[in-house]
Amino acid sequence: MNLNNTIYNKRMKMAELVASDISLLSILQRLNITLGFGEATVAEVCAQHNISTDLFLMICNIYSFRDYQPQIDTLTDDDIRNITTYLRASHKYYSTICFPALHNNIHKMVKELDDVSRRLIDKFYDDYDNEVNNHFQYEEEIVFPYIENLLNNRQSDNSEYNISLFEHNHGNVNEKLNDLSNIIIKYLNKDYTSQLRFEILSEIHLIGNDLLKHSNIENKLLVPLVEKIEQRNE
Amino acid sequence: MNKEGKYKVVLIEPSEIIATGIAAIINGNPKFCIAQTLNDPSYYNSNDCDVDIVIINPTVVDYNDRLDIRSWLGAGNTALVALTHSNYEESVMRQYDECIGIYDSTARIIQKLKNAIDENSKNPKSDLTELSSREKDILAAVAMGKTNKEIADEFNISIYTVISHRRNISQKLGINSIPGLTVYAIMNKLVDISDFS
Repeated sequence: MNLNNTIYNKRMKMAELVASDISLLSILQRLNITLGFGEATVAEVCAQHNISTDLFLMICNIYSFRDYQPQIDTLTDDDIRNITTYLRASHKYYSTICFPALHNNIHKMVKELDDVSRRLIDKFYDDYDNEVNNHFQYEEEIVFPYIENLLNNRQSDNSEYNISLFEHNHGNVNEKLNDLSNIIIKYLNKDYTSQLRFEILSEIHLIGNDLLKHSNIENKLLVPLVEKIEQRNE
Repeated sequence: MNKEGKYKVVLIEPSEIIATGIAAIINGNPKFCIAQTLNDPSYYNSNDCDVDIVIINPTVVDYNDRLDIRSWLGAGNTALVALTHSNYEESVMRQYDECIGIYDSTARIIQKLKNAIDENSKNPKSDLTELSSREKDILAAVAMGKTNKEIADEFNISIYTVISHRRNISQKLGINSIPGLTVYAIMNKLVDISDFS
């Protein structure tokens, strides 16, 4: 397979890029890129919005192609800042849009269940929600400030920390979403509004997929870049 | 079992030389008889429920199906014996009640068939869809928050066996996290919700 044929490039039209994989819309949303591209290329749209074209393409490639490995040598310190900005925006997108919508539907769904199942699913979801929020909070309060200090060559408050301690626990986060999905598909009783359950399952699928890409951006882009800076500063 | 009280064996082996040899050994024993010899598993008729043992060469099964051979073959609760010419991964061999090698002696082959019948009646391996009663007990213990070590002590089995049960349970249910397993265990009344505060 010739990877150059499948991977996005800066000369293609932004509209084509989005049409080829609709899940990329969530990236545009987080980067505050507005629609109505006309015939503008990816490079032109990125320039208008002050976003590094290389970085934008890497994020899109990570989203669309599972085996893609970014070449990080061309990225600068500013790109690292942009990645953390992107990741923060992504957290905000999950916690203000995706999860509240899912929670709302789950809340509606459990009303139809017997008392025991209702309490169980409620508790399962609440624990999951807490876990995800703690994870986001950990990244925003510990990991990202550490990176910012590192880039500014300032001594970190937390001098013991380094990026290898970064928790890769998005895996667990996805594991629980998967469990919830299987519980709904296989084990909840059958007297229910099926439309609601289909909606929930489709939301879980989308969020799970997005979280996976989110952690790929951390593991394939952020962590290797920060490791390079750590070595440079030593 | 057939009318003469012999255990009925179906043999699935692509090599005619080996199939003829094994069939001769088994038919020469008063307790067993070959009901059918097949060179391809797709001819196996799982509705023939008096079959006591299916002997199958794992190479005739596609790699991906080897890990769930019992439901793939529709073998239900029939004893399954592997006939191997080479070594297989442990996860593949775990599916079988016994394993015959092509260098085994006649006495050893017959002994292994008897073991398979015993093993299968004592500890029936179900399809990968239903939990066995042992798995339900272990799942209940997991849901109660017990550690692998505590479960191993309670059931008098090794930690390795506990881990293997847990892997099978998760594979069957499609649920991996402990909270997810707890939800399943309570909904299916394997444990009581009043045990949790």
